[in-house]
Amino acid sequence: MNFARGFWFTFVFLALVVLHYTLRPVLEWRASIDFLSIAVLLVAVRARPGVATVVGFAVGITSDAMMPSAFGAGALAFSVVAYAASSLKAAFFADNLALNAVFVFLGKWVGDLIFLAAEHRLGGSEFLAQALLWSPLAAAVTAVVGLGVLMVLRPVVGTPRG
Amino acid sequence: MLIACVLLSLVALVLPSPIRSAVAGGLRGTIVVPLAALQERAEVSRRAVLAYDASVRVADSIRLQATQADVAAAENERLRRLLGLGAALTWGFVPAEALHGRGLGDDYTMTLTVGSNEGVEPFSAVVAPDGLVGMIEHVDARSSVAIVWPHPDFRVSAMSADGAAFGIVYPHLGAGATRFLLELRGVAFRNELRPGTLIVSAGLGGVYPRGIPVGTVLSELKTAEGWARTYLLRPAVRPADATTVMVVQPRRAKEGVAAAWQTNVDSALRMVVAAGDSLARRHADSLARAERQRLDSLQVLRPRPDSGDAAAPAVKPPITPPITPPITPPNTPPSTPTPAPRPVP
Repeated sequence: MNFARGFWFTFVFLALVVLHYTLRPVLEWRASIDFLSIAVLLVAVRARPGVATVVGFAVGITSDAMMPSAFGAGALAFSVVAYAASSLKAAFFADNLALNAVFVFLGKWVGDLIFLAAEHRLGGSEFLAQALLWSPLAAAVTAVVGLGVLMVLRPVVGTPRG
Repeated sequence: MLIACVLLSLVALVLPSPIRSAVAGGLRGTIVVPLAALQERAEVSRRAVLAYDASVRVADSIRLQATQADVAAAENERLRRLLGLGAALTWGFVPAEALHGRGLGDDYTMTLTVGSNEGVEPFSAVVAPDGLVGMIEHVDARSSVAIVWPHPDFRVSAMSADGAAFGIVYPHLGAGATRFLLELRGVAFRNELRPGTLIVSAGLGGVYPRGIPVGTVLSELKTAEGWARTYLLRPAVRPADATTVMVVQPRRAKEGVAAAWQTNVDSALRMVVAAGDSLARRHADSLARAERQRLDSLQVLRPRPDSGDAAAPAVKPPITPPITPPITPPNTPPSTPTPAPRPVP
């Protein structure tokens, strides 16, 4: 990755983080777009698993700072998802758009499941509703937006290495 | 690296609550500050947008209520005047709603919601608080049709309010806006009417009782007739505005109804006089307030006796004797100056 591509990649990553804290509260959807997941997955498909895990952990711990009751849950979820995504990118991250969307969808949903399991806040029917209804919906919305981001970004920063 | 990150995350999860809060607070106070600020501003913006929508909704509803209040106030005033007319007529009238169609020919007639069941008879006068509207032409059991004054067949014998000039009122069959005016024809040439003169029904002919306002003189029309004058009148009532009217029954018409409109004129005159009085009172109050303020300001400028400030200028309000006009008896001649005594040689 040369300097220009690195600059654009960093810019898009920061833009996604900023969008997570500006656009998402404005939209206030029940199944909202998770721009942090898109940012972490973007890093995961372009970096080695170790780097991706550290970035995932940093993003997760930053988001956990906003809700001390689940402090650490986000870090755990993002670390695992980033590592898994970076390890499985050769299998998932091909030129097929549908596979890219499934990649983002699964990344977000698995991340949510780990988060819900780690925070121990919801239980019973609430947990099931969140895990099986709202999280997949949010993952679908995130996948659509993530697909758009990847399509816009591909000509700028190039295809990820396998 | 994964194991280290997972372990750190698990440690963070199982930390005691005070330590966890302290670590989270430390992050919020350092690297998360800009993100937290962004989120706060986003939420404030969202609340502002929602509040704007709500305030626009409130403003719209208030505006709508204000509009409806104006309409209701106008309706209230109209009904109050109609009640006043009903109280003045006392008996022998039938109140009715006037139904205006908006079709061709509806400028000339109106349908009333009362009929023979309510005691309406053909050739009864239809009146409103402002004056004459028309005449009942056709009566059904529950409804009736009246011709209104723009109808080409409308005629009413009329006179000036002081009874000096008589004539016949016709609809003015001109073109354009003047179509909805009236003409007073056949006024004796010696009777010149000024613009603004009130024309009322004369009571001749047996249909329209005497004293119902028909219109006011606008100007004189030039005609080929050399023996009589014709005047253009502004109608007292616009049929389109007459939504509630009274049908004066013939036996009531025989008794005379002029007093009803005279009462209305008197009450209007009283309102004008009262308004004038209140204006004069307000003017006098404002003058007195200004004079009091002037005196108070002079009082402030005057030095206090205990202040000991000798250098302060003593400003006193000028004392002017009250000006009283010379009182002279009304019937005594004005006093002549006394001549100076002649010097004795």
